[in-house]
Amino acid sequence: MLLELNNVSKNFGGVAALTGITFGVEQGEIFGVIGPNGAGKTTLFNLITGVFPVSEGEIVFDGMSVVDIKPHRTVEMGISRTFQNIRLFGNMTALETVLTGMHCRTGSGFWSSFVRTKRQRIEEERCRGIAYEFLKLVDLADDAEEVATSLPYGKQRRLEIARALATHPQLILLDEPAAGMNDSETESLRKLIGRIRDLGITVVVIEHDMALMMNICDRMVVFNFGKKIAKGTPQEIQQNPAVIEAYLGKEDA
Amino acid sequence: MDLLNPYYLQIVMFFIINAIMGISIYFTLTTGQLSLGAAGFMSVGAYVAALITLKADLPIAVGILVGGFVAALVAFIIGFPTVRLRGLYLAIATLGFGEVVRVIFLNMEVTNGALGLSGIPAIAQEMTNYFYELDLDDVMGLDAMTWGNLVTIFILLAILALILAFCIRINNSRVGRAFTAIKADDHAAELMGINVVYYKMAAFVIGAFIAGIGGGLYAHITNFINPTDFSYHKVVQILLFPVFGGTNVVWGSVLGSFILTLLPEVLRFLADYRDIIYGALLVILMAVRPDGILTESMMDTINRKLGFKKSPYIPETQVLTERFEAYKRKMAAQAEEKE
Repeated sequence: MLLELNNVSKNFGGVAALTGITFGVEQGEIFGVIGPNGAGKTTLFNLITGVFPVSEGEIVFDGMSVVDIKPHRTVEMGISRTFQNIRLFGNMTALETVLTGMHCRTGSGFWSSFVRTKRQRIEEERCRGIAYEFLKLVDLADDAEEVATSLPYGKQRRLEIARALATHPQLILLDEPAAGMNDSETESLRKLIGRIRDLGITVVVIEHDMALMMNICDRMVVFNFGKKIAKGTPQEIQQNPAVIEAYLGKEDA
Repeated sequence: MDLLNPYYLQIVMFFIINAIMGISIYFTLTTGQLSLGAAGFMSVGAYVAALITLKADLPIAVGILVGGFVAALVAFIIGFPTVRLRGLYLAIATLGFGEVVRVIFLNMEVTNGALGLSGIPAIAQEMTNYFYELDLDDVMGLDAMTWGNLVTIFILLAILALILAFCIRINNSRVGRAFTAIKADDHAAELMGINVVYYKMAAFVIGAFIAGIGGGLYAHITNFINPTDFSYHKVVQILLFPVFGGTNVVWGSVLGSFILTLLPEVLRFLADYRDIIYGALLVILMAVRPDGILTESMMDTINRKLGFKKSPYIPETQVLTERFEAYKRKMAAQAEEKE
């Protein structure tokens, strides 16, 4: 197991956002998290990346606990993510945005950046090459020098994925990557997620687009009101009565 | 040689020191932290440098450097609580810090309280003395005092150039990208693997160091300092340099301090109406250009026109291709194992 959650709970004051969540994600799989709005999916990502401390339980990534670890350290450990609402950095080109993602894999500090040591120059150059490769991967090579926040919506979403990939993660968490995308954009996203897996990166994805989720996920969990109500392959999930009830409601007897 | 009279030369010196002070605010601001502690750090630098040269009789350069480091150390200590603050809260906390420092200097015996320190050796005087010692009075029609002032301006310009080079090079590097990311969205920056607390602290300490250097230079230009030199009024004055010239580019502080140092002198003939013009100009500028005169896109265009900025060179690398292939091999090996 690459990522394991054992009985994880999170309370905000008196509100239980997540209760007793237990599941594991295998190395190399595409794992889906679905559930109605407010089910606690994004809170789950925030717990895994160390934004909030867990109230109870344990999260283990690659054999190490990520509980009480600062967010930037979880990125160093190999967990990366995108955001539900696009959060690109203003005033940066697409290439610089991806370079920013490589921050934790590079080492030039204040002094070497000031005096431009040979190592710093080699590092910068090599990073630009790799960043450009990531831009090509998400089909943004022609926009390398465009200001990130001035790109059209679909491209901004893909750029966020490139930035997350640039941290060289083992595990990437995608928070509603298809939100607001049209059919052809969703189709290219589906291909992109497949390509990410082909890089040897494990993918956990939150998404409301069921057609996409049933198509790409190897396995998935379903949340409702902060509790896990089902787990299994897309086929199993589609036939699970608890899931149908959560999404469509219960028929009056 | 009317232009080189000591009065004009002193204005040029104040312009350079003001530019350095403006940059100290700008530098901290590049991580999105609005620190109003510049006057406080400036006074720490000024007093420490002055005491070192006055009481310990050490060279001026040593005093100024130590003043900078002490200001940085103070920033490091007060940084622990303050880097966690944002926006207005940080501004008010650092403003409070400046007041505390002022009151401390006002009540300490070694700083001579409200009377301040006088007789601080002036850089220009030292330089003039060198010229006299070398018997270089009246070179190219200029007396030793003018030469002393000119050399002082040259030294100040060299220090300013060094600070500018530092800012520009840092901006255009891994560290600078981290700064920009933190300024734009510190939460997202943290989740992209950037140690936000470290970089905010570093920017705060370096900004204080620059302010401390500026303070040390100030003390050794005016040869007299007292606590009221570093009051609220000074904070607002320093803050206006980057705000007026442009908060997003380092040249903004230089332009802002240039205009705002010269303006009161140019408007001197207006006597009492001077402050009205000064205030009105600020209101107009903020209404028309809220980001200051110079903006990032403007500097970008200028740099491209002048040929300072080119499209970045992007080498061919095969990192991802190799990773795709490694994954394919791994999958193939796993499939074979199963059979």
